[in-house]
Amino acid sequence: MKLFLKTHAFTNVFDVLSRDYLQGKEEVLRLSVIALLVGGHILVEDLPGLGKTTVALALAGVTGLSFGRVQCTSDLLPSDITGLSIFNREEGHFSFQPGPIFNNIVLLDEINRSMPRTQSAMLEAMEERRVTIEGVTYPLPDPFMVFATQNPSDQSGTFLLPESQLDRFLICTGIGYPEEQLERQIIAGGGIRELVSNLMPLVTSSEIMAAKNDVQAVYLSDKVLSYIHNIVLSTRRHDLILTGLSTRAAINLAQASKAAAFLAGRDYVAPDDVKNIAVAVCAHRLTMRSDMNTTDRGGVIRTIIASIALPLA
Amino acid sequence: MVAIRSLTAILTYVIGLCGMIPLFPWLTTFPRVILLVGLLSGLWQDRKGSWQLKPWMQNVVIVPVFFFYALQFSHANPAQPVISVLAIMLAVRLSGEKSVRHSLQIYTLSMFCLASSSLFDLSPVFLIYLGLLLFMVAFALVLLTFQNQDHAMMVSTSDLKKILLSALLMPVFAVPLILFFFPIMPRTQLPLWYFLSPPSLRTTGYSDTVEPGSQSSITETRSLAFRAEMPRQAQKQLYWRGTVFNRTDGNKWTRISQIPTEQPEFTGQTVRQVIYPEPSAGRTLIALDRPAALVMQRVIRSPDGVFELSRLLGGRLSYSADSQSNGLIAQRNAINRRFYTQLPDLLPARIKALVLEIARAGRDDSARVEFLENYFRNGGYRYSTVDLATGDRALEQFLFEKKQGHCEFFASSFALLLRAADVPCRLVGGYLGGEYNDLGGYYLITDAKAHVWVEAYIDGSGWVRIDPSSFAANAGEVWAASSSQNLLLRISLVLDSINYVWNRSVISYDFEQQVNIVRHVGSRLQGINPSKILRASLPYFAGIVLLALLLFAIRRASYFHNREQRVLSRFLRIIEREFSISTGDGGVGLFEIALLADNIHVSNFVKIYAGAVYHDRGLTDDEYLRLKQILRSLKGVESKIS
Repeated sequence: MKLFLKTHAFTNVFDVLSRDYLQGKEEVLRLSVIALLVGGHILVEDLPGLGKTTVALALAGVTGLSFGRVQCTSDLLPSDITGLSIFNREEGHFSFQPGPIFNNIVLLDEINRSMPRTQSAMLEAMEERRVTIEGVTYPLPDPFMVFATQNPSDQSGTFLLPESQLDRFLICTGIGYPEEQLERQIIAGGGIRELVSNLMPLVTSSEIMAAKNDVQAVYLSDKVLSYIHNIVLSTRRHDLILTGLSTRAAINLAQASKAAAFLAGRDYVAPDDVKNIAVAVCAHRLTMRSDMNTTDRGGVIRTIIASIALPLA
Repeated sequence: MVAIRSLTAILTYVIGLCGMIPLFPWLTTFPRVILLVGLLSGLWQDRKGSWQLKPWMQNVVIVPVFFFYALQFSHANPAQPVISVLAIMLAVRLSGEKSVRHSLQIYTLSMFCLASSSLFDLSPVFLIYLGLLLFMVAFALVLLTFQNQDHAMMVSTSDLKKILLSALLMPVFAVPLILFFFPIMPRTQLPLWYFLSPPSLRTTGYSDTVEPGSQSSITETRSLAFRAEMPRQAQKQLYWRGTVFNRTDGNKWTRISQIPTEQPEFTGQTVRQVIYPEPSAGRTLIALDRPAALVMQRVIRSPDGVFELSRLLGGRLSYSADSQSNGLIAQRNAINRRFYTQLPDLLPARIKALVLEIARAGRDDSARVEFLENYFRNGGYRYSTVDLATGDRALEQFLFEKKQGHCEFFASSFALLLRAADVPCRLVGGYLGGEYNDLGGYYLITDAKAHVWVEAYIDGSGWVRIDPSSFAANAGEVWAASSSQNLLLRISLVLDSINYVWNRSVISYDFEQQVNIVRHVGSRLQGINPSKILRASLPYFAGIVLLALLLFAIRRASYFHNREQRVLSRFLRIIEREFSISTGDGGVGLFEIALLADNIHVSNFVKIYAGAVYHDRGLTDDEYLRLKQILRSLKGVESKIS
């Protein structure tokens, strides 16, 4: 019952957002919440103008978490994100001015436009959850989540994220165009940026922290564990794939499944949870064989999953 | 892949045949024709795939047939109308469309037909048909349940094998029960219907009169007369005594039953034999010559060694006898010479002349017998069954002109001459020889072996067996021919031993033997210490229990590991059928099913079931009951939909 109430708070978040503000973006919203609950990061790959930023803003608004935004460009320096020490003339010493990364939810817009140096500084911060500037280590707030976006079509003057960096994102997903009917409504109603910026928080920070603990406590049975392991092993044996999923990927898949189960109101992971989230968690981590680079990775993961029987008993 | 429908159709015809064939020989022409027409038209329509005959037409046809035969039914004729109706109903069902219901009717009718054939005949073939029928009906019933679910169902060959195996198990499990019931159930030793009104029974190979000259030739029948279970004997000693003829009118020998007493002494070795005669109208009991004792109820023993039943018993019987087979029976007292030297008033002149010659050979009996033996041996007589002497003077013709004839000629002329020479003698009718069946350890005697010989009384020794036919010039080849065993004969002997075992251990297994078994078991039990039994049987018992546990464990492991899997597979079946969601090989998760089905029962089931299974625990009893309840209500949904 306790669990139900906690879950209820989050499903409520969901319902409010997808019904009132972000029609047609339930999936990306759900994945964002999963990333938030697990303490991972999300990379949204899609064309501009489909509401990537709006989703991040809305999520921040509804959870009452602090929000920072970085618009990545090729001349963006690491210190522009992490912050820097500025000499305070009145007090006579350097004082640290925290950058936008010192927020609970950080939107890194068009992450592939920044230089590799900046990218790696950001990704290091994402992994370590702390920033060291001039010998002083500053911890990042908790919960902390990076909401990165990248534009797959416009590749000129961009620096693609290397595979090792992609592995640090828990989830990578697209948004896609809204349904026809829905899009007409959105067009008629105009943008919702204004609305989103005035959102009232529906959950508190402490509730989120408690929910994160509950997600860790979700039961993962041996059967489902074997199922996850089978998926991972299959990617390593697959003909089209050069390197399969890492152990970190497997851990992430298990964690994301737990969060998905939590959101579905259960205290145990069902194979369905794994199956539903596997593409988002796994596809971007695969390194395809050089001649197969253009293959749809999501499709490969889906065929692998279809070939493995769900443990029903 | 095999279509269940065509499989059941084939099985139905074969089952129908299994019911038809055993009954067919006992039917009258009309039901026979109807059966054939029904079968053929059914096959033809099945081939074409369209059914001209609708069930209501068939039902209409059966009604007048039923009334017709119901009117024929009477106490004198109870069986024929019943089997005719059965056969016609079977024919009508075979000719129609084979729905599940009609197939079941065909199976039942076939069973009835087979069962009613046992009213007429109790042969071991019945067992074969019954076994076939039981197995095929079990198989067909399993298939029909599939067909009932889905008319156009196809099964793979491997699945078919499984079905076949499980269908086979049913009769196999029944076998121990049959073996248990066989010794204790009441039984009949004769076909019921024949018991009620015996048809003209087989006549024995020998008749109750000996009258050579009544026919110009005789034909031999090879039908079985009796079997005698005993160790192998010297072929020369195999004279099977039936009856004795003690009166003659010159041509014909008959038996009168007022016989002077005799006091035979059985000093030699006796042979124990058990005789299984084929059912016949005769009352005489056969035994190896000469029986000293014969164990059978209601038997009248005559002083001359003839055993007769006091009244005719139908059906099969068996009795044991002890015989002294050396051909010489000593007498304690002198016999009634006048009785055994009776002669007709007039004898032909030529015979009288011959008798004078005999009388000149010597005064005592043995000299005269020896003279006559030599006369026959040197007279150039031939054994023959064709071109025989006939008429009133047949014996005279045989002795002096034709000089050929069968055993009756030899024996009756020999005996007549002996009596005329004042040597007491009589004719013995019975059988000679027989084929020994090593497999079954018994002699097989056919009616063709019927024989007549002479017993002469020689003062001082007793009754001596003399076979005048053996004095024939060609006796050697006639007798030797029967002893050569060709392949065909050997095969028929093997087949006969099967028949013999059936008759012995099934048909003539009677109440007395049942009582014997019970008594035997009882006496064995009395001498046993219960604690000893317990100790001795403990390892067996433990072994059986272990075996059962092992089988149970294997079964559980291979079929359904536990009740979770059982419940799940039932659930998945219902889902596939009712919601058309393909759940093959775990391709769809439970919650996905719940989402797709969009049914409150389904999602409840998934919640409870997954809650247990994905917590790595079994279902609690409470949960199990709830799941079963949900499955029931899901079935309710199904029936409402359909």
